[in-house]
Amino acid sequence: MNVWRRIKDFGSGGCARKERDLEREIQDHLTLEAEESGWYGARRAFGNTLAVAENVREAWGWTRLEQFARDAAYGLRQVRRNPLFSGIAIATLALGIGGITAMFSAFDAVLIRPMPYADADRLVMIWDEMSGSDVTTKHNSTPAEWIEWRRLNTVFTDLATSQPGDATLSGDGEPEQLPARKVTWTFWSVLGVRPKLGRVFTEDEDNKGVRVVVISHRLWQRRFGGSPDIAGRKISLNDEPYEVIGVMPQGFYFMPSHDIDIWMPASFPSWMRRNFTWHDAHIVARLKPGVAIERARQSMAALSLQVTAKDFRGPHPVIVTPLREEIAGKTQTALILLLCASVALLLIACVNLANLLLSRSAARGREVAVRTALGAGRGRLVAQFLTESLVLAVFGTLAGLALALPGMRFLERLVPEAMGAARLTLDWRVLAFSASVAIAAALTFGLAPALRGSRLAPQEGLRDGGRGTAGARSHWFRHSLIIVETALAVMLLTCGGLLLQTFQHLRNTDLGIRSERLLTFETPLFRYKDFDRRVAFVNAELEQVRGIPGVISAGWINLIPFTNFANATFYRLDGQPTSSFASQVALIRSVSRDYFATAGARLREGRFFSVSDQKSDSPVAIVNEPLANRHFAGQSPLGRRFRFGGNGHWYTIVGVVKQIRESGVLEEAKPAIYRVLEQCDQMNDLSGGIVVRTAVEPASIIQAVRHGIWSLDRNQPLARIRTMEEIVDRQLSTPSQSTALLGAFAVLALLLASLGIYGVLSYAVTQRTNEIGVRMALGATSGEILLSFGKRGLALTLAGLAIGLALAAIAARSMTALLYGFRPDYGPTVIVVSLILLAVAAVACFVPARRASRVDPVVALRNE
Amino acid sequence: MKQSADKIDFLRGTLDLSILRTLAPGPAHGHEIAKHIQRSTDDVVQVEHGSLYPALHRLERKGRLDSKWESRDAKREFKYYLLSAAGRKQLVAEESKWNNWWAPSPGLLRLSEG
Repeated sequence: MNVWRRIKDFGSGGCARKERDLEREIQDHLTLEAEESGWYGARRAFGNTLAVAENVREAWGWTRLEQFARDAAYGLRQVRRNPLFSGIAIATLALGIGGITAMFSAFDAVLIRPMPYADADRLVMIWDEMSGSDVTTKHNSTPAEWIEWRRLNTVFTDLATSQPGDATLSGDGEPEQLPARKVTWTFWSVLGVRPKLGRVFTEDEDNKGVRVVVISHRLWQRRFGGSPDIAGRKISLNDEPYEVIGVMPQGFYFMPSHDIDIWMPASFPSWMRRNFTWHDAHIVARLKPGVAIERARQSMAALSLQVTAKDFRGPHPVIVTPLREEIAGKTQTALILLLCASVALLLIACVNLANLLLSRSAARGREVAVRTALGAGRGRLVAQFLTESLVLAVFGTLAGLALALPGMRFLERLVPEAMGAARLTLDWRVLAFSASVAIAAALTFGLAPALRGSRLAPQEGLRDGGRGTAGARSHWFRHSLIIVETALAVMLLTCGGLLLQTFQHLRNTDLGIRSERLLTFETPLFRYKDFDRRVAFVNAELEQVRGIPGVISAGWINLIPFTNFANATFYRLDGQPTSSFASQVALIRSVSRDYFATAGARLREGRFFSVSDQKSDSPVAIVNEPLANRHFAGQSPLGRRFRFGGNGHWYTIVGVVKQIRESGVLEEAKPAIYRVLEQCDQMNDLSGGIVVRTAVEPASIIQAVRHGIWSLDRNQPLARIRTMEEIVDRQLSTPSQSTALLGAFAVLALLLASLGIYGVLSYAVTQRTNEIGVRMALGATSGEILLSFGKRGLALTLAGLAIGLALAAIAARSMTALLYGFRPDYGPTVIVVSLILLAVAAVACFVPARRASRVDPVVALRNE
Repeated sequence: MKQSADKIDFLRGTLDLSILRTLAPGPAHGHEIAKHIQRSTDDVVQVEHGSLYPALHRLERKGRLDSKWESRDAKREFKYYLLSAAGRKQLVAEESKWNNWWAPSPGLLRLSEG
């Protein structure tokens, strides 16, 4: 077809020529016809020339686009002509669209985007269920279970384990403690990942315990300068020679943390292969094609009872969870909640705009009437109004994207730790989303005004000073819009209030220690092969640190508080039957004598450890309050004894310490047992952490600490040097971010809703100025007028409040995961929210109502 | 509303066909076409002349007609329409189809768009 000609016509002034030709053609026709039947007859025979021309233009085909361009240009002119109106509209939209864009980018990154594994949605994690204990319901599994499940299961293609590992890199440069995991050779095939360089280890290497490692892209770049001949290089890990055989691609990560640098063969020792109590493995499995997770759960439930029958605890079930859920964790709930909040905010913005446009379309009645009289059909008018809305939406989206960028920087901190530092960007997925949101928004807020505005009959609009353009139905519609947006704002405010209460509760939670001016770091002990040398090194370390100016005291604990779920053990009290082992689990920590005093822990009864607690056959222990309350409610546990194994020492309880949330700031304190380092010779735990109470800024002594410890041992690594406040803040970041975000959404929502109330009432006042004038002329006082408008605003607000509170009650139920076990009090939140809303609404009502009451009847009626 | 839209569609078909038929012998300008349609239906079908033009332009866009500005008597230029190859093919096809069910009863119709 002659598309090309049409394109040529369209550009290079072809359009104008076409118009000219058409006019000439019509003129020619009229002239010829006039020769036969006279000028008047010719016109009558021809019909309406303007309408014909319009129909011809439509036949040209390009006109739809041209019309759109013309409407858009007109919309642009409108934007320029009413800067205040447009400014408000664009700012409102920018808030709504900016919020939802930023939220979507985070939501997309965490919950939609593919994870760096092949067919990641078929990956699941398998945990031991431990619901009987107070410590955790989902527990790590054992390598022995892995072996059995692998042999017997029918639902997985394969399973792999990942256990904590130690890796201290020494040799050239500073000794460095690297985050490492020990994994089975199946790890790579289960996840469906390949190394970027080199290879991964084989079943044979795993079984024989060959010293090979796969390293992360990050470590390769940082420590080895991205050298291409890294495969085959020998490095020194834990003072043993290892061969680097592969490098994982950039962006690869796996539970429990994104920063793992070393994967080494699991090489289970033979005792571990048979031991069903060594719970330190994460197990990940790939579902067979066509097997749903529900079926895997049923199948594994039966199998686990059979496998764990060998466990001394007796048979117990397993928990199967999708991998993505494990990685996203609580962030998932937070993101869903916040995304809903941003949708609510956008809805409020749209409702507000709809109201604004409704007011304006009433004011544009004359324009519409003129257009109708000139032959514009209703569809044409609706298209025009919608195009104008779209122009506003485009501007609003551009401004919104500008707002979204800083918002995304803020949201990056919400990304779960296991995923690492995700960089949120405005990529094509996010942009496509924003564009569709913009179009949807334009339709949402533009459609009602467009339909309403175009309905006007021309006679009515053209009549001078046309009154009563908005009938009762229009009031009803606009009032319900106000109620909707008020209700949404109330819902956001209430949810925000609940989160704020929770956050304050979390902030004020008694951590059990004093976190200010407390420096922490880790010094693993693998370099000291026997127990006595380890104790000697720890004491020497502490001595060095204490000697640093500005240090008040220093203490040692095998795992820094708030950072670790691990190290729990079964125990049995003196006098209990052996079977009670199975249900009694407590966290277990070893500490130096002065640890509790340094950390600022508080004693409930008894004593802390002292110099007299030396290596002995009758060791002592300190338990925390939850453990004491569990077994000795109302009595003193001092002097009571317990043991860990069937034939270990009996430990005597000498003190009860106030609870310290060892496994995390957001986790309820669990039963815990503390032993003094000197009496821990049965355990061969190689981890070690030091806490330092300082009189000066903790960060200022870091260099001195390094040099002090390196003066003892040049190859001793120091890892994770952090202040306790940093640790606490990091853990509070998810609740604090979600609270801050939801709070921001709620405040904006309130602002927009009050603007909406203000807008509707002041429009009503403008529209009814005449009526007010008449009423005042007939004797109504300004007080009565004020009241009548105020009452209407109040009624709308109250209706919105009631609906909003009901919505909030429903929403609150879906966010229990974000309340961290805390039960916020609804009463105060509801009261505060109601008061805030009423106060803001009162101002929003009062201003226009007061204007109404000040109407001068003489002026008002002169307008008539 | 719906009914009249249907009617327009129906009539548009007949109008298009009439135009194609009119142009079968050779090129003509708008006024000539209008007059010819009027005459050929014995004034039974009365077309508002104006409604012819959207149809002409539509057919031209579809490639059924070509057009050129020409002066026949060296006095005035008119826009002449002529059948294109595609238009001629359509005319043949439509003629056979149309004849089958419409020709028997032309009836009394008042043709006007709008």
